[in-house]
Amino acid sequence: MNKVLRFSFMASATALLFGAIGAQAQQVPQAPNMSFFVTSTPIGKGGDLGGLAGADAHCQQLAATAGAGGKTWHAYLSSPELPTAKGINARDRIGSGPWQNEKGVVIATNVDDLHSANNKLTHETALTERGTMISGVGYTPVWHDALTGSDREGRAFPGNINMTCNNWSSSEFGKAMLGHIDRKGLADNDYARSWNSSHQSRGCSQADLIATGGNGLLYCFAQ
Amino acid sequence: MNTTLRLSILASAALASLGWAGASQAQQNNMSFFITSVGSGKGGDLGGVAGADAHCQQLAAAVGAGNKTWHAYISTNSTPAAPGINARDRIGSGPWQNAKGVVIAKNVDDLHANAQINKATGLSEKGEPTKVRGDTPNQHDMLTGSDLQGRAFPPNLNLTCNNWTSGNFGSAMLGHSDREGIADTVYQHSWNSAHMSRDCTQPGLVATGGGGLFYCFAQ
Repeated sequence: MNKVLRFSFMASATALLFGAIGAQAQQVPQAPNMSFFVTSTPIGKGGDLGGLAGADAHCQQLAATAGAGGKTWHAYLSSPELPTAKGINARDRIGSGPWQNEKGVVIATNVDDLHSANNKLTHETALTERGTMISGVGYTPVWHDALTGSDREGRAFPGNINMTCNNWSSSEFGKAMLGHIDRKGLADNDYARSWNSSHQSRGCSQADLIATGGNGLLYCFAQ
Repeated sequence: MNTTLRLSILASAALASLGWAGASQAQQNNMSFFITSVGSGKGGDLGGVAGADAHCQQLAAAVGAGNKTWHAYISTNSTPAAPGINARDRIGSGPWQNAKGVVIAKNVDDLHANAQINKATGLSEKGEPTKVRGDTPNQHDMLTGSDLQGRAFPPNLNLTCNNWTSGNFGSAMLGHSDREGIADTVYQHSWNSAHMSRDCTQPGLVATGGGGLFYCFAQ
């Protein structure tokens, strides 16, 4: 093989490589009818999401990559009762449903349905905005803990309990209430199977979220 | 002064001292409520509920009130299989009085509606005031692991430092013995359910205004 030919092969391979990367970047499936997803990536600062507004913006941004940015997205998060403000309930932030995932599967028909045993949230239906499953129990790493800060009814905890990492502004103080995206946990009980109120995090740092089986992922809903 | 006289004075002093101790013990024999003068020193690790009860018993015995059976006012977390232990169910039926004879509540319901626990009445087994807001260091955070009604939290919360066995993981629900806090809310004024600890380490308890102290009750 002469030098020119070899160079030509290399150039072709390089072009192919770049082509593949380019294609991958554009490959987020377009799902304009999607109204529910699990974030494919975390904000990355533990429980510091920049408040509810920062979390909502993260949902909106990821939705836009999937062609669903025309809707108004909200993160499924509660904020605590404060001396100066009432608590905000996650269940009151997400519209009235029904909500469907990236594949068009309806995961709940309304707010009460979502918070009942009848919802259709499973590891297979709780898909990201890209239509992918999250890495749950049985996979490595386990990222099945979603941040919610909510009780099982999707409501804020009372003012003496800080399960929202200081109202989603701290990667240091407090704890986060977490739900299991794959509905699986260490034991087989209602709490381990809870999608929105399974257990609290060790702390609010990104490392603490990872240590308890998460990565700071969020549920996002749109009307 | 000769040897005999000196001995006699010493003996009198010793008798007087015993007499004092006796009087003080007689008073505290009626005590049925106190705040531990010291904690376990290991943060939220109290050696479980049994360890916390033993701590109460030991401190009570040191002041002559060991003839009663003492229990720490702490709850354990519920599990999916079993409800937790409620602090309110561990303390007898009252009334309870502090080392100075002041009644802090008549019965369990009264304790959870109208407790007379505050800076003045929140005394240790020795009858000494607890260091509270305004004192240095502030140790007004009492370990309780309980809600406002003195009950255990559900299984998805760990506000008992792993059922009082962890000096590291989890968090502890705390009450304010002086009924004072950073805001004018029902929680900040709560003697038994004011806020969570940062974590379960001793420094973590100290950081939010505590020392790992807790309430002890006897029937």
